[in-house]
Amino acid sequence: MGVRATKHIMMAVKKMRSRLGLAWVVLSALVLFSGDVLAHGERAQLASMRMRTVHWFDTQVTPLQAKVGDTVTLTGKFIPSVYWPETLPSIAAMAFLNVGVPGPTFLRVHSEVNGVPMMRSTAFPLGKVYEYKVVMRARIPGRYHVHPLINVENAGSLIGKGTWLEIDKADTDAPFVNNATVLTGETVDLETYGLGGVIGWHLVWIAMGVAWLLFWLVRKELFIPRFMRIRALGADRANELLTKKDFVVSAMFFTLTLTIILTGYLWAEWKYPLTIPLQTGKVGVLGLDVPDGNLKIEVDSASYKLDGRSLTMHAKMTNNGERPLRIDEFITANIRFINPKVAEGKIVEGEEMVARNGLTVSVDVINPGETKDVVIVASDTLWEQYRMTGLIQDPDSRFAGLLFYGDDQGKRYYQEVGGSILPSYF
Amino acid sequence: MSELQLEESRVKEAKEAKAQILDMESLNNPAAMKLYRRLDGILILVLFTFLTLGIQIQFTLTAGDWDYWVDWKDRRWWPLVTPLTLLMPIGAFTYGIWQRVRLPIMATALTTLLCLVAWGSHYLNFYKFTYFPLTFVFPATYIGVGILLDCALVMTRSLVVSAFIGAGLFGALVYPLNWPLIAAYRTAVEFNGTLLSLADLMGYEYIRTTTPEYLRIIESSTLRTFGGSVVPLTAVFAGFVSIVVYAIFLWVGSYVNKLVTFAKRIM
Repeated sequence: MGVRATKHIMMAVKKMRSRLGLAWVVLSALVLFSGDVLAHGERAQLASMRMRTVHWFDTQVTPLQAKVGDTVTLTGKFIPSVYWPETLPSIAAMAFLNVGVPGPTFLRVHSEVNGVPMMRSTAFPLGKVYEYKVVMRARIPGRYHVHPLINVENAGSLIGKGTWLEIDKADTDAPFVNNATVLTGETVDLETYGLGGVIGWHLVWIAMGVAWLLFWLVRKELFIPRFMRIRALGADRANELLTKKDFVVSAMFFTLTLTIILTGYLWAEWKYPLTIPLQTGKVGVLGLDVPDGNLKIEVDSASYKLDGRSLTMHAKMTNNGERPLRIDEFITANIRFINPKVAEGKIVEGEEMVARNGLTVSVDVINPGETKDVVIVASDTLWEQYRMTGLIQDPDSRFAGLLFYGDDQGKRYYQEVGGSILPSYF
Repeated sequence: MSELQLEESRVKEAKEAKAQILDMESLNNPAAMKLYRRLDGILILVLFTFLTLGIQIQFTLTAGDWDYWVDWKDRRWWPLVTPLTLLMPIGAFTYGIWQRVRLPIMATALTTLLCLVAWGSHYLNFYKFTYFPLTFVFPATYIGVGILLDCALVMTRSLVVSAFIGAGLFGALVYPLNWPLIAAYRTAVEFNGTLLSLADLMGYEYIRTTTPEYLRIIESSTLRTFGGSVVPLTAVFAGFVSIVVYAIFLWVGSYVNKLVTFAKRIM
């Protein structure tokens, strides 16, 4: 090799080293200075989809600080929107109440919707109220953003508002135990139950497989010599490479394998005589009627300001009830806009996505029998923060949300409003 | 064919005959044999690495969830889908290795390598990184049926006959082979007034955010049963379909082999 070529190679190596060094520095900086990964996709879906799928409200997680082994409860309500996009497979067909946590950091020990246990899949007819409760046991220490979540078949996951939870180590160093009592009366720890048998049988089969491979691969003539011999013998006489010993050993392996399979099967039948097939199916749950307080709402028009981070709604409201009503809150895409004139807005500990002064209503009170034209403006930087201004980019410009109102006796009502929405450029 | 072409063909044949004689002579040469053994070692290393990666990717893409979770290993779909997906690469590779070197190792090699790499993957990805207990994510084993297929090939010395015996057993025996591993998790438990197996309970308790219950492709109640005998019927059907799939992929293997000849010709 010439001196010039060697120099070129050395320079290339130096260049590569410096580039690798730079890449290392950049990667290290990214690791050191990047923030936590916070979201489970709260802002990822189209704005109009988040507004018109599931309205989550009254979400609460208690306690916000716990230790491994402690119980954490997630409660709240949701209404599947009657404005559910027709292009999306419906929640009224097949759905599953889930929890948005990083894997099995929690153990789900109970979940229910309107009092019905939710181990199985279900369906949620649109426009009804569902009250859910999920009880979990903390399993792995850490800081987690916990969301209620509904998986909709062929559509995807719809998540509710997230809440931060701190899970500390347990007081003792004892391993986490997840006991279950089977119908035969035996109590087993699901973290370790049956694992000895699993590993034992795997070792038996790995030993058998390795033995078979060693028998064929540890021999004087392997790939290249055997290839040469077959080429010389011709395809018709290639089987001459197989010896009587090969045949006998194969027959022994064949018999032994069948014997082990049969023995294993009989052993399992003896050890676990009472078994059942995997259980599946769908459970039904009845939704509750929306408490609308006899307020009739007709949305005339709605618009949103591209630069103003606000949604304006013109509606005709008729109070057919017996008590005066005041509008105090609007929720869409998990964001709460609160009318400061009427409600302080009960904000639970750890709650996010709340615009305390975000709602302006043109009418203070709607008295019984009155019909009023009402202008509602939901405005806050949260529109921007949660990428709601992206409505202009959506192929289906419609919106929906939950309007909350109350009477003079402190009773709370709500109903869904929605319709077409237009952008306002100025 | 012109005389020139005939002459060329004769020269080629003579060259090949001479090369074969030299090859055979080299088998008696200790130095050559030492070199062959070294090359064979490298070949095994390369082949097994390629097979390990290939089977892991192929099996993950085609039978992933059935192998990942204990609550997916049902009586109807899992013992049907997994042997079929495994027999695809096994059939294709067996043809080449059998025709060229008469080594009946591919079924055992692929199932053993899959078992080892699956343990590594499940241990690291599911147990260490995402905290699932191993009781919930251990892989199934297919080594036993792989050995049966290879043994059938040696004993019958025929790819076609071994397809009937070996592949048939491969498909039919997946469930009994794995029953000692999964039976413990089919024990019944009452939970919120509902009957569940321990596997179902684990599937519910160990949260999988993007794997909801309805996503499981498992046995569901149907009128199309034969006296409620699901396991034997699935075994017979899986055995039959395995024979067909194995035969198809032996043909695929033979086709790929022909491509080698074609490649030689154009080079």
